[in-house]
Amino acid sequence: MRVKPRRGFVAGKWHRLGGVVSETHACALALLLSILLSSAAFLLPSSVLWVLVTINAGLIAHGLLLKKKIAVLLRLAAVQFVTTMGLYSLFHGESQLLEGAIVVLRVLLAMLPGWWLSSTQRPERLGEVLSWGLPHQWAFVIAASLSLLPFMSRELQEIYQIQCMRGARITPKALRNPKNWPEFIYCVLFPLLIQLLKLSKQMAISAKLRHFGDAAKATHWPSTRDHK
Amino acid sequence: MNLIELKGIQFGYDTQQVAILDDLHLSVNHGECHCISGATGCGKSSLLHLIAGELSRPLDGEMIRHPALMVGLVMQDPNVQLLRQSVGAEIAFALENLGTPSAQMLEKVQQSLRRVGLYISIDTPVEMLSLGQKYRLMLAAQLVFEPNLLLLDEPWTQLDNHGVQELYFVLKNLLSDGVAIVMVEHKPQAFGKLVSHLWQLDRGKLLAGLYLPSVPHGHKLNIADTIEIGTAAEERVRIAPHRFQFARRDILFRCANTLTISGGEMVALVGDNGSGKSSLLKALAGIQADIGQLPLSVLGKRPKLGIYGANVCLLLQRPSRQLFEQTVLSEMQFSLRRFQLPLARAERMLTELGLTHLAAASPHKLSYGQQHIIALASLACLKPKVLLLDDPFAGLDSVHCEKVWQLLLQLRHQGSAILLTSHREVPLDDVDRVWHIEAGFLQDKSQSMVLVDAS
Repeated sequence: MRVKPRRGFVAGKWHRLGGVVSETHACALALLLSILLSSAAFLLPSSVLWVLVTINAGLIAHGLLLKKKIAVLLRLAAVQFVTTMGLYSLFHGESQLLEGAIVVLRVLLAMLPGWWLSSTQRPERLGEVLSWGLPHQWAFVIAASLSLLPFMSRELQEIYQIQCMRGARITPKALRNPKNWPEFIYCVLFPLLIQLLKLSKQMAISAKLRHFGDAAKATHWPSTRDHK
Repeated sequence: MNLIELKGIQFGYDTQQVAILDDLHLSVNHGECHCISGATGCGKSSLLHLIAGELSRPLDGEMIRHPALMVGLVMQDPNVQLLRQSVGAEIAFALENLGTPSAQMLEKVQQSLRRVGLYISIDTPVEMLSLGQKYRLMLAAQLVFEPNLLLLDEPWTQLDNHGVQELYFVLKNLLSDGVAIVMVEHKPQAFGKLVSHLWQLDRGKLLAGLYLPSVPHGHKLNIADTIEIGTAAEERVRIAPHRFQFARRDILFRCANTLTISGGEMVALVGDNGSGKSSLLKALAGIQADIGQLPLSVLGKRPKLGIYGANVCLLLQRPSRQLFEQTVLSEMQFSLRRFQLPLARAERMLTELGLTHLAAASPHKLSYGQQHIIALASLACLKPKVLLLDDPFAGLDSVHCEKVWQLLLQLRHQGSAILLTSHREVPLDDVDRVWHIEAGFLQDKSQSMVLVDAS
């Protein structure tokens, strides 16, 4: 069976700009931009956060154009918003709610560039860029961890649904009661952690059996082959 | 040329337990195909990992490896071996680690793809491949560094018949090229004449011959079997004609006729890997996103998560994911407690399955087959009106398969409507009806077979 390849990565677009910037260089720029934006989310004063919001809106639009899913991140932000606002209301009263909302916004703005980076850049290219400054092994681990994010969100969703069907008190309504929060940890996060540990072990075996760490200096799958 | 020789190998994971490999001998030469069968959890996969030189625990005995030995291993589930997002990068991973110059990679990668019969673009995202294609991709990812010994862990289990057939010809070519193969497989018949040495792993030793468990095939349906509760005619599941497709994707399959399942009926849904079986099951449970509004009805309602309580249960693939309690008994009692049903059902179920000795054990320390049974039993003791099972026999040996059948027959007898999926043909003797997803259509094949017989 022939599978029609999907075009979605930024690399092709960079090439169309005239081949001035290679996919690896584009990835390096994307990584740098993500780090700057994530850092700025915590360092910038509240009065100029709107600039970051605008830039991040552009990143979201780019990701959505490439048909990447953002629902999980937004759901996480919603949970964080409800929790943080609840705690602010409890400890500081209504007068500090705006500050609470800004804290949540800053965390979301710090996470969004990471989502954009992992959605638009190939792990092997990230690995290549990271290996410019880090040992090859470290670069691989970071790149592999980033590529695990989509897997984690799928597993989290499936385990949550399975346990809901088994009667666990973890439905959105049940989770309004803090008494049920430990059940979410035991039923969902604990099995997810076990799955992640198993997967990371199997990935490590897979990498080792394919000679990971054997060569003193690893080479890289070429990013410019399409041109050739 | 002798590639590897194991002499008197003794190996175990726990010093307090019996060694899983005990005085094991094996010798593998160029161009030989060894097939090892055995009960689930007897140590077959451990043996493969040991041959691959990847087990870090100490072992007794002697392992002589030829200096030129190069081993490739494809594990049971190719998904857990994937490290990259595109086909080319996945295959090139080993070349990168061996320091192959980038300029030489493209040709080697394309050569490996052709060798396993995958004619796809090197930029194809890995997530777009079917399971069978992923298996061959992993094979290509090994062949690219030209191993002379290839280890395969239960290829038949994960692949559909089409995938097995494709793999057969790939292996045949490899053997003729002099590559040695050691595979762990419950169904060596699937690879017919390729197998030159047939072994069974029994109590840590390799004995010549095929593992044949002494479990009778006693699960045939007795159509006259009376259903306990007078609910046989009650319709539980209704699938009206529709087109099944994800948002902004091609149609997965069409359902032209209305399909139903009544209480006390067991239906098998058969289709190749990636045909949409699991997605349909999830849609019936109300947990499948991106499919829009489909004309599905379960217990008279449009499926939605959380509206059925204990009446609808779903067992997804890799059921060990749902285990989290400290003991098997508390795991089985969890849902009973939440739905306020008698806790004694859990102990009764363990007794019926002959698993009372596991009641106090940690579910995380059980074998794959045992975890599978416990996950299913924890749903079965709820006595659901509708039970949906996604490939419940995957990866199980015949002993555990028989236990699963035993449970399903019991539930059917109690009036449950059961829909189970399989990527292999299920005999009509074993279930009430068989639905097929074939050539893009979902249909009740048993009905058409009856019509053919009648004509």
